[in-house]
This record gives sequence, C-alpha cells and structure tokens, in this order.
Amino acid sequence: MSERWYDWIKREEDPARVSELPEALDDLVVLDVSQGHYGAFLTGTYLAELGAEVIKLEPPGGDPMRGWGPADVTANGTGLAFVAEARNKYCVTLNLDKKAGRSLLKGLAARADVLIEGFEPGYLDRLGLGYRHLAKVNPRLIYVACSAYGQFGPDAPGRPREYDLTDQALSGLLHVTGDPDAPPVRVGSWISAYAQAAWASMAVLAAVHWRETSRQGQMIDVSGAEALMRYLEYTVLLYHATGQVRGRTGLYELAVFPYTFVRVKDGYAFIAGYTDPNFQAICRIMGRPELAKDPRFNTTLQRTNPENEVLLRDEIEKWSMNFSSDEILEKVLADPGPGIIVFGPMNPPTKVLTEAHWWERGCFKRVEDPVYGPLLLQMPVWRMTRTPPRLKWACRPLGYHNAHVYAKYFGLGPGRLAELKTKGVL
Amino acid sequence: MTDSYFKWAAQLFDAARIHEKPEALHGIRVLDLSVIIFGPATADFLGELGAEVIKVEMPGQGDVTRILGSASFFWKNVSVAFFGMNHSKYHVGIDMHKPDGQALIRKLAARSDIVIENFKAGTLEEKFGIGYRQLREVNPRLIYVANTGFGQWGPFARGRASYDGLAQAVSGLTAITGTPGGHPTKIGNYLGDWYGACMSALGALAALRWRDRTGEGQFVEMAQCEGLLRAMDWTWLYAGLTKRDRPQTGNRDPVFSPSGVFRCKDGYVALVAGTDAEYRGLCRVLGKPGLARNGRKDVDRLDGMIQAWCEKRTRSEVEKIARRHHVPAAPVMTGKDHYESRHLRARRSVWEHDDPVYGTMVEYGPAPKLSATPARIKWAGKPVGFHNEFVLKKVLGLSDEEIRALEAGGVIGKWADRMGAKPPDGWNGEGLLQ
Repeated sequence: MSERWYDWIKREEDPARVSELPEALDDLVVLDVSQGHYGAFLTGTYLAELGAEVIKLEPPGGDPMRGWGPADVTANGTGLAFVAEARNKYCVTLNLDKKAGRSLLKGLAARADVLIEGFEPGYLDRLGLGYRHLAKVNPRLIYVACSAYGQFGPDAPGRPREYDLTDQALSGLLHVTGDPDAPPVRVGSWISAYAQAAWASMAVLAAVHWRETSRQGQMIDVSGAEALMRYLEYTVLLYHATGQVRGRTGLYELAVFPYTFVRVKDGYAFIAGYTDPNFQAICRIMGRPELAKDPRFNTTLQRTNPENEVLLRDEIEKWSMNFSSDEILEKVLADPGPGIIVFGPMNPPTKVLTEAHWWERGCFKRVEDPVYGPLLLQMPVWRMTRTPPRLKWACRPLGYHNAHVYAKYFGLGPGRLAELKTKGVL
Repeated sequence: MTDSYFKWAAQLFDAARIHEKPEALHGIRVLDLSVIIFGPATADFLGELGAEVIKVEMPGQGDVTRILGSASFFWKNVSVAFFGMNHSKYHVGIDMHKPDGQALIRKLAARSDIVIENFKAGTLEEKFGIGYRQLREVNPRLIYVANTGFGQWGPFARGRASYDGLAQAVSGLTAITGTPGGHPTKIGNYLGDWYGACMSALGALAALRWRDRTGEGQFVEMAQCEGLLRAMDWTWLYAGLTKRDRPQTGNRDPVFSPSGVFRCKDGYVALVAGTDAEYRGLCRVLGKPGLARNGRKDVDRLDGMIQAWCEKRTRSEVEKIARRHHVPAAPVMTGKDHYESRHLRARRSVWEHDDPVYGTMVEYGPAPKLSATPARIKWAGKPVGFHNEFVLKKVLGLSDEEIRALEAGGVIGKWADRMGAKPPDGWNGEGLLQ
C-alpha cells in the first residue's frame, strides 16, 4: 500500500467530509411514537443518525420527556435528557385520544417502514392501532414495542412503567455492581435505555433486510431489562454449571486479573494486563520482573484466586501511588513489549472534554441552536467510509414540523391544519 | 381486550415455534477474526439473527477467553466465560502468521459478507496483509467491521490498548456512577464490550442495508470508549452549560424521585415513583396517603420511610404490593433468580439447549424478539478448530488431501491437549462434521 493505513483511514473518516457522503437509511420512514419512554425514543435517534426520516409524534401537550433532565439546568426550559437525544427528528403533534388522530396515525403507518412505541403493552392495541391492526393496512410494517417485561410471558400483563433503575435491577447488573459487603450500585447513566435501543435498532435493520426478499414486516418486542441481561455474560451459566451465584466483587474480578482501579498520585486509574505476557509487561514497568514468576501470580488461574487478587492489587498500588496517571501512561507507551498494558485515568466528564482525541475524532460538537441555545452534544458513534451517520439538527419544538409532515403525507394545507388544531386533533 | 392482546402476542411470539420460522440474516456469512468479548459478541449477535459465523482462532490454544477465570470457573475443560459470545459458530483454527494462513483468510473473505476484527488499528493490514484495503480487492461488496478501544486514528489510537474497564474510566462513566468519596465503582459486567458490540453489529447492519440498496461494501469502525461516551445521556449537555460535572447520586436517579435501591429480608429491590400518580401510589403503599399532599420535597426522609417499609418484607412482597398501587418496583435479580424465572424461560431470554459436546446448557438467549424471524441459539461454543474440515470443504471446496497438507504445515489445526481448548473428558466425538 502506497499510503499508510493510519493516514488513509483518517482521511476516509474525516468528520469534515461526512455531509458529502450518502446515508445508509435515507429511504426509510420511521414513526417514533415513544412517549415518556427513553429506550423507544433512543431507537428512533439511532435510526435518525443513520439517515432515516424519523417522525416523532407527540400529544398536543407535548411528550413528558421534554421535561426530563436535572432539576438545576435546562436548555431554555426543555429538559437536557430530551435535548440530548432528539436530534434529526421531525416533531409533530397528534392526539391519539381523538378518532381523527387515530386515523391519521393509521394513515402514516400505512406509508411508514417502521413504528416504534413504548406504551404499556396492549395500549395501542386497545386503540385499534396495535401491530395486528396496522399490519392490515401495511403488511410491510416493522412494529417495535419497548417495555420492561415484554409483550408476552407470564409476567408481561399488568406491570407498571419501565424505568432504567428497575431494568438495572431485573437485568442482574445491579446485583453484580458494587462491593461485596455493601448494597448494589446503579450505573450512572440510563444504560438500559441505550441497550434497549441498540437491540431494537439492530432487530429493525435485520427485519428490513429480511423484508427485501420476503416482502413482509413483523413485530419486534424488546425488554429493557433483558437488553441489559444479555450483557451479563456467564451469570446464569455459572449457576447452571456450578451452582455458584455470581455476586459483587468490587475492585476485584472473577474472570481476569489484574483488571482494576488503583490509586495514583492524582486520583484513581484503571490498569489491566491479565494474560501472562501482559502481566509480565506490568511487572516490567513496575520494575518488579520477579513478581511475574511469583507462584501466587504466575498463571491466570493463580492471579484470579480471590486472595491473590487482593495481594496483587496491593503490590501494584505500592508502586502506582508514587506517580501521576500521566507519568504512568508515559511508561506504558514507552514500554517496548512484548505484552500490552491497558492503562488510563479515571476522568470526570469535564476532564474528558479537555482531551484533544475526542474532539479531533468528532465525538463532541458544540452547536448554537436558535431555540435551545448553546449545546454541547455527543455525536453518533459509528465511523463508516461510505455512509457515515451524522447530526443535522439537535432538537425542535413541539409541533415544529406539523405543516411539513402533514402536507407531505396527507396534502393538508394551513386551513385544514388550523381546523384540526382547534378540534384538538393536533 | 387486553387479555386477548396478551393471548394474541403469546401466539405471535410462541417460543415453541422459533425453529419453524425463517431467520432474518439467513445467507449472510460473517468471518469472525476477533477474540475476547467485543469482537466475538458483535459476530454472535449477527449469528443470533441468522448469519452463519465462522470463528477463526489460533490453532492449539484459541481465544484467550477459553482459559479465563479462577478454578471455580472451569466446567467441562473450559471457562464458562467463553460461551456467552460464541453461540452457533463454526470454529476454524488458522494460523494467520503464516502466508498460507493469510491466503485462506483472503479466500474465506472473498466468500463472506461481513468481516469482524478487534486487533490494534492497522495490525491486520500491516502485519498480516489481510486488512480492509487488501480484502476489498478480493471482495468489493465486503463490509469490514473493526472494533477497537480508541479508534483507528487520533492521538490516543497510537499505541494505546483498551479493555472495557478502561473505557468505563476514560469515558467519564465511572465518574458519574456511585457516590462521592471512596474508591471508584467498577461496573460488574464488561459493559463497554457488550454495548459496544451491540452498536457495532447495528453499524454492520446499516452497512448491509446500504449494500442491499447499492451493492457497495464499506469499512465500519466502532470504538469502545466512544460507545460509552455516547451512552451517558445528558452528561455532556450539563457539562457544556455549567462547566461542572454532573453529581454522583448513588442509587437515586437524578431525574426521578423518590427512587433508589432498598434492602429487603431476602435481598434488594429497586423502586421508582417518578410521576405524581406513582408517588400517590407510593404513599398508599407506605400506608400514609396523607403524605401525598406534601409533595416530594424531603426525599431523604421518604427514602428512610421506604427503607423501613421494605426491610420487613421480601422482594416479592414489596414488588406485589407496589404493583397493586402501580408503583414500579423490581427485585434485584441474581443468576439464580434468572435461572428459576418462568417468565424468562417462556421468553427464551433464559435459553436451555442440549449441546452434542457440552450437554444441557442454560444461557442468556437473544434479547430482541422478532415475530417472523426469531433470533435463536443453535449450539454452544466448540473446541478450537472443531469445524475445520466442514468449513474448508463447504466454503472453499478443499479436498481431504489439501486439508491434511495444511495441517502438516501447521497452517490449520485443532485444539491442543490444553484446558480451554480441548473437549470435555469422555467426549465421544459427537457433533463433529467431516
């Protein structure tokens, strides 16, 4: 190759040229009927980043999610959790309590590729807008329902609303996070919603692919609790195979070690090197090559012995506390190998924002929004050389796209729209 | 009507009929060149949806995940940590350090739709001659998925390796988890790997959609640290507007209160009363309906009352009473709870299957339920090189003589007589394909 891989791929993925390239999903129309449901909302967001036309339908009073966020700060009155993930969507009002509203949704569903909802299971079905009803007007429709317990199974009926915290509990993630002698600890972000959306969008695209040959849509059921539970690796197999109930191990690990946080001069840092060559590399930069041969630490099996883990972590801290995380990282990068050491500081968000790496790669973007003011947003995660995802706009007010969407799909002009608004349909 | 909805849904998704139905990604072949979790799980998720996944490992020892864990982790000569991201794959042992091994990879890639790797950026191109630019020469329709910690380029991409725990630390997720003071909370699972793998598989399917439309392949990359950055909801907006870090709020959801994790007689429950209606329900649960008039100002006091109420009850009593009042409460479930849940079994979210090599397996099943093309597990992960003959004959049309010659040259190989790589003791050869 005449040009080095690093230079070539950097140029191919240059964030500055994203808008010149086509979008993977720009032929898909998605109805985002999420109301007060972050996982369903995010499913629409991912698809919108990848190019789909995502129409977010809200009741005339607005989605309650517009109020979600920390109590002390808003984006000109709108909740930060909503603004963070409302990107690229068309915001439209529609009242499902009105017959005319329901028939408009049916009309949109007849033309859409995907519908996403996060209502209590059976709610849209009661309105005559469930999958079985909409599939009659559009057999190619892919209908996604998000909930905590799913749409079927003995525990599905009659359950209360889905929250991230209860999903984290059901998934088993809470049970394995934190110190063994202390209560479980919740992951700080709404991680179950992100997991639920990742699964839901993945399933949607698999269904879109299958539809190419089958000409048929289908229904997709995604539980936020199960979305996270699938990430719990060997937890249920361990119980089946050995009868052990996986618990909390705090800074220690059942499967790999060292793989932990240690104190450094300026806070905490993460360090790992659990295979033999990688552990030998850690011992080398610590100036303790003999440690790699110590019978308590010389095999993966020995290093994951729970008592040895404690001893080993203490040995590492004796060394790490003499240096700042930058100083250790310098040693790690200077090490000639063999073996790979994984090391990095525990950064608070404001520190992350000072690092050039993320900005150069386009992970963050500052936008000046005409309505919501100055916004700092995280960007789509995928780098794609042919159809990169992108941010087009951050957020739009309630009903902002009514005229556009209702003209595009129903040919409704200003007069008729005003009438529907007066009647409480929009 | 609601009853009939659940009856209808139960039929639509009937787990007993999963294997009668088609698979969404039938006919898509994935070449999995990755190890540990992030890469293998990406391939696994596509496999659950019906893709044929060929997992390439170093002959002899194979993927290091096979030997991870303390003694209590080994079951039938392999670590239980190996199975969760290696379902229904075809296992091939190819030494990619050898030119003939690289040639085999090129031939397999020519016949594949998606390649997945998680080597350090540039390694496959510069060291092995089988990077994206080389493989697209033999297959212009190829979708090449590369998973890394920090990405293919950028200041941190030079020389820095990553694991999930590092991604938690450098993304800021650790800093917004737990309570202030004390040591950091390491999230109990390898969250950055699994979520990253989910996003990576999603990126691969977006690329597949583009290829279905145009015939064009492309390079897709996913960086683990960036995956977690992306999944921190309003953290960045908050930092941008206030120049401050969002506070650590422990088990209290910063947006919904009261909320928290409360001790019961037999474990913990999570409880949230985020709406006014749920809050009124909670006041009834606590036997203090009058409290509802005071609003939700004194959350610490409320937490104390919820705790006092919970500790006299079991998780299931708390959940049932709360449910009667429409208050979201859920037990903190363990692996044992998952194993015993009728609900999760009925949904095949806990999936029991009978494997020819490992016998009865109970694992987590596919998360999304697709009514027409349900995702599924077909068999468990297998010893190194278990499907060598089958894959090399079926996909590349090699003869027995050619296969023997590759074996003799050390280009391909199976398991060594080592823990992790080899079959269980007493295995009688069942499941092998020739």
